[in-house]
Amino acid sequence: MKPHISKNFIIRNLFLCAAAIAITSCGTATINKPGSDAQIESLRTFELAFIDEFAVPHKRFNAAAFDAKVNQGNAMFQQAIANEKFTARRPVLNDLKAQFDADAAHLRSKASRGKVTPALASEMKKDVNKIYDHALGR
Amino acid sequence: MPSAGKTKRKKSTRKKSELGSALDQVGDESTAAAMKEFQDLLAQAKSDTTELVRQNAKELEERLILLKKRKIDKEDFDFFIENQKRDLRVFIDSQPAQAQERAERLTLHILETAATKVVPVLLAMI
Repeated sequence: MKPHISKNFIIRNLFLCAAAIAITSCGTATINKPGSDAQIESLRTFELAFIDEFAVPHKRFNAAAFDAKVNQGNAMFQQAIANEKFTARRPVLNDLKAQFDADAAHLRSKASRGKVTPALASEMKKDVNKIYDHALGR
Repeated sequence: MPSAGKTKRKKSTRKKSELGSALDQVGDESTAAAMKEFQDLLAQAKSDTTELVRQNAKELEERLILLKKRKIDKEDFDFFIENQKRDLRVFIDSQPAQAQERAERLTLHILETAATKVVPVLLAMI
């Protein structure tokens, strides 16, 4: 009888531990999500400001300032991806980074040749807002 | 409020006819048939029940008009098409298997047709 009681005790404790871990991890995800949303919003703000700064028709292209801003963006994304505790968000952050890379490449190509139009800037910002809204599940 | 709705509808009709009338000018028979097929698909997507499909069609139409008016160039247009595709792939992959083919036809296929068949026609008109 004694081994049987001991076995039941171990199983019960294992079950309680598993339940505690599950509850704790759910709580962590819920607690972290607003922080994760805020992180994504701050990346959105940065990217929109980046477009506002460099997608300006007839503005002389400053390669050094452009590269510095791109480096700052890359660092922000890398930090956001590394710090993201809500694991389901990591692929989303990678998608947003891919969008930032594409925006930077297109903007560099257009701005360095003086080919930025007002429509380009507004359409780029439209796409940025759309992809960030989708990333936030809106 | 009714007047606001009326204004919005008028604007949308004007935009549609702007692109439609340009594409209707095509003389060559096989190209005209392709333009007609594109316009039918676009109209279908614009009245779809899914918000993302409607939004994609609306943006595509607006960007074709911007291209025709030379407010953006082909490089910009191709860049925006890639953005739209990137965004749509996630949506299509999240659809049930039986809905994926229709979603793909009304989104990625329209973008592909616009880039490969409609844009050369519009550029030739400029």
